[in-house]
Amino acid sequence: MHRDFNRLLDAVVRIDVREVSYDSGVKLFSAGVGSGVIMSADGLVLTNAHVASPKAVEISVTLASLERVGATLVGWDHWTDLALLRLDLEETKRRRLAFTHAKFADSDRLYPGQIVFAVGTPHGLTRTVTRGIISNNRRYFQDNTGVRGYETGAFNTWLQTDAAINPGNSGGPLVTENGSVVGISSRGYLGANNLGFAIPANIARRVLDGLSRDGVIIRSYIGVVPGALRDFEGFYSLALNTGMLINSVDPGSPAAAAGLRGGDILLEIDGQNVDGRFPEQLPPIENAIASLAVGSTVTLKIKRGSETKDYSMATERLESQVGEEWAFEKWGLTVRKVSRAYARANQLSDATGVIVLGVQPGFPAAVAGLSRGDIITSINQVKITSLDLAKEAHASYEVRPGPILVEAQRNFRMSLYVLKP
Amino acid sequence: MTSVLILLAGLPRSATDKSSALRRLWRAVACFGVLTFLLNAAVAADLRELWKDRLKSVVAVEFFTESELDRRPTVTNGVVADDQGLIIVQAGAMNPRFAPDQFKDFRVYLPGEPPQRFWSAVYLGQDVLSGWHFLRVVEDMRPFLAPITRFVADRSQNSDSVQIAQRVWGIGLRGKDEDFMPYFLEAPIGLIQTLPQRSAICLDDITAPGLPVFDEKGAFAGLGIAGFGQTYMQFSQRDRGGAAVVMVNIGETSAFLLAAEVLPYLGRIPTDIFGRPVPWLGAHGLQPIDPEVLTFLKLDSGCVVSEVLAGSPAEKAGMKDRDMIVAIDGKPLPRLKPDRVVVAYVQREISRRRPGDGVALAVQRGNERLDFQVTLVEEPKMAREASRSYFERLGFTAREFVYADGVGRRAPVAEHTGVVAHFVKANSPAATAGLGMDDWIKEIDGIPVATYADAAAQLSAIEKDLARVEAVLLIRRGGETQVLRIKLK
Repeated sequence: MHRDFNRLLDAVVRIDVREVSYDSGVKLFSAGVGSGVIMSADGLVLTNAHVASPKAVEISVTLASLERVGATLVGWDHWTDLALLRLDLEETKRRRLAFTHAKFADSDRLYPGQIVFAVGTPHGLTRTVTRGIISNNRRYFQDNTGVRGYETGAFNTWLQTDAAINPGNSGGPLVTENGSVVGISSRGYLGANNLGFAIPANIARRVLDGLSRDGVIIRSYIGVVPGALRDFEGFYSLALNTGMLINSVDPGSPAAAAGLRGGDILLEIDGQNVDGRFPEQLPPIENAIASLAVGSTVTLKIKRGSETKDYSMATERLESQVGEEWAFEKWGLTVRKVSRAYARANQLSDATGVIVLGVQPGFPAAVAGLSRGDIITSINQVKITSLDLAKEAHASYEVRPGPILVEAQRNFRMSLYVLKP
Repeated sequence: MTSVLILLAGLPRSATDKSSALRRLWRAVACFGVLTFLLNAAVAADLRELWKDRLKSVVAVEFFTESELDRRPTVTNGVVADDQGLIIVQAGAMNPRFAPDQFKDFRVYLPGEPPQRFWSAVYLGQDVLSGWHFLRVVEDMRPFLAPITRFVADRSQNSDSVQIAQRVWGIGLRGKDEDFMPYFLEAPIGLIQTLPQRSAICLDDITAPGLPVFDEKGAFAGLGIAGFGQTYMQFSQRDRGGAAVVMVNIGETSAFLLAAEVLPYLGRIPTDIFGRPVPWLGAHGLQPIDPEVLTFLKLDSGCVVSEVLAGSPAEKAGMKDRDMIVAIDGKPLPRLKPDRVVVAYVQREISRRRPGDGVALAVQRGNERLDFQVTLVEEPKMAREASRSYFERLGFTAREFVYADGVGRRAPVAEHTGVVAHFVKANSPAATAGLGMDDWIKEIDGIPVATYADAAAQLSAIEKDLARVEAVLLIRRGGETQVLRIKLK
């Protein structure tokens, strides 16, 4: 094997995460195992967002030397399924633990058929190397609940490989024979043979830079849902390889306010031509919009029927459908805030309320009849426009327990509940 | 032994009905525990006579539901309601997704007669209050029939003509392959409940949904309603834990509406096949209120209005989402069990009125008590009244978009344009393009659909144009739109 490949092996780590879960009406802890790769001399570890998320309460990293060391989450980005950890450098120094770091290669230069290796911890089997080829270097898939309920895949294409990728490989590197990181292994098709996917290194590099600098990746949102134009150019009287179909416009979004509609054709973004003929071409277009500064004005050239017109709109900050989660212990109730994106996707009139994730049997919320999926819109006749308002109500209940009136909706049907101590 | 048990069970009933000397004698016999074959025979003979007569008020009904692709028969039960061949069929017998003109070829059969012999009937429509479908059978059959009104005793009119523990009997019908053979069912009443109609639940199946129940003297006691689900534990070799399954006997039922909930409504014969007039309040998503909540709010009973519909009388009167209706025309909502029955109560109170009628609603809003005087109007066009046509080459049925479609899709009235894909043929060009049942078609070939007529004209032009290669639809599903391309060649 190449000398640098052995060096890469010293940069691959196993990651054990203990994290909190709000799914069952009570705050519970669960444990998971994944992989990661050290990318800098100062201990930055790249892994998957579905391995280490803000729900993690304890992260420990097993180095190539089999020594374990603590780490903290620097930031995560579920859209690209990447998370960045930092090793506890004081600890490594104190214990004189050595590690090396890997380097990126240019993932745009990969070609189908090229030999690659996946390194990681499949099913907890530390330091497993599997070999395969790049099966496709530009695979498109978008999944609105792909990273543990969070959206993923809108802004990047993926590398597909037949190197065996199993649960636990997640976050480990996909490398070439000389040990350069060309991708971060992310997922495989369950029940399929050797259909594995990785985030390309060129995306990972940008996300790593952004997370190490800001702790977060901020993107812009205007609210258009793209569609591949394929061979629609005849129907829309377009030149070949021009334009992107707008399948849908989110209600209440900047694009909707500007007058865009489903069925419109996007020709230009701020004067730049757009070619969205095939699904693989959509992520770069979405990324072009997402990369704009939040609040900046973007001008879209739109073709509708025979008419072509410019539409300008200010971008909003992109947010997830998954809002902040919380546990109200005295009520036996766990909730998630309704986000603006969730409200839009579910035809709610606004982002008021918290969604019930779980109720604990025998506790006030369960006894009153609340159940998973209900949206609590008011507590004691106070409209729950923020999670803090619900926390306040719970705090005063903790001080002085007494019956509280909860209004909730299920399938747009309004019901009332009394939570009693 | 069986007859002893029956007589003993009949004891409380006999005690209340002292008019019959014969019954008193039975009681004496039963008390002494003496088994008398003679008496047993007398009871049976009596019932057999009653049975023979009352069988004439029972028929089997068959009709065909014509869809885009096929024609399917449905067999159900009917009860004879007058001397003019009026037959009533239960609400659930007909799928509301179909328009009345899709129900064809109504046939009426006599129980126990070969099914080669039947009489045709005309479908008159569905009554909004009772939910019943009304048919009128041809004159030739009428001599073989006897309306249930012929078996009405004075006591049938009373609010509770039968009592708990009283034995009642009914008629069941076998299937068409068994000549709709009638059979005898009998059971004591276990419970009488307000649901919100007075309904009796027997200890065993007593009749079929839509067929009559009689008391021991042969007086009409009520009409069978769809059965209640019963929970069973299902064990199997693989699943030793056992899973709870709810089972419903669809052929028979232990529940029936008391006569007083049936007789006043037999005359509600629809004058319009769509059941018009249909009164409309526009208070949508009625929900019961939990007893704990009622106590908390210091209310006796009530019903939450989830949504006040745009343009409805409720909205015009000033009602708002989340208002709680507590009284109708000054009459507080009764406390009914189970809780959800109150919703049916409010709906019935509206349905029994006519468009143009006023109704006074007392409403709790927050800590305020408000009174609204609402004038009901005709319900907006219903799906069953909507125009529709099937486009064979494209492979789907376009149906006019009606008000209720907008409510279900949470669309403001201003957006109520377009047509609904009411049916999509499997593997057709439309289905292959991704069109689904109930998708909302907003644009056809890039042209926004203004009216149903426009859409129908446009779609039929597409169908006729054999040189056409494709058609493009903009559809809306949930809150999202999508462009679909239907390949015709």
